[in-house]
Amino acid sequence: MRKLLAETQEIEQYLLHEMPASARLLFQARMLVAPALREKVRYQRKTLQLIRWLAREEKRRKLDDLLERLMKESSFHHSITSIFK
Amino acid sequence: MRTQEDQWLENLYRHTLPRVAAMVYRMGGHLEMAKDVFQDAVIIYLEKQQAQKLPPGVSAEAYITGIARILCIRQLKKSGPELSLDEMTENIGVPSDYYAPPPVARPVLDYIRSAGKRCLQLLQAFYYDQHSLSDIAAGFNFKTLHSASVQKYKCLEKVREQLKQSDYAETLS
Repeated sequence: MRKLLAETQEIEQYLLHEMPASARLLFQARMLVAPALREKVRYQRKTLQLIRWLAREEKRRKLDDLLERLMKESSFHHSITSIFK
Repeated sequence: MRTQEDQWLENLYRHTLPRVAAMVYRMGGHLEMAKDVFQDAVIIYLEKQQAQKLPPGVSAEAYITGIARILCIRQLKKSGPELSLDEMTENIGVPSDYYAPPPVARPVLDYIRSAGKRCLQLLQAFYYDQHSLSDIAAGFNFKTLHSASVQKYKCLEKVREQLKQSDYAETLS
């Protein structure tokens, strides 16, 4: 794996807490003296947040579609809406 | 094609949503609130299941109803009778970032989504759905696990750079 990808992998292990404690300390020390690495970690963390956020949005859309389909059935629609009448 | 999960979700909506809706009604909530808290509770349940972090011996229905109750209390801004809301939320495990706003501005979000659909799908399969590398290799037609892994890191770098560039562009504008 080329050097850049190996670094991305290392950042991933750091962010996902998959690094042994000693390697983690060393990595944190490297971040202190390397602003470029710090920046990569920051944006990779943001990338993981973005992936989670987009995945949840997609899941919500899927569940919206399911509910919309079920609500077209009069018996299901009634079983929900009658509660609030 | 309907998956096993699709069928499970449909059954869950048919049987558990009416119960959650009745609970929300008793708590003073309305129909839209019932739909929202139920949906969020289902998503949180699925995430916990994927991460194998569900408490043992608790049924899906009980867990989802419990989360929905907490989310409902949150929305109604009431405290539970015995525990503070923070304690309850922590105990049942509502992820701290669950209601976080999107990590980037909408236009950036839309750009990244449209520019790298396959990459996002690959990253989502790995990091959110937590599929194994061999499932991902098969699903995305990679010949080897190594090529799937390399592509995953390339995608990570690509999206990471897009986020960085969008931040710079925002700073300059």
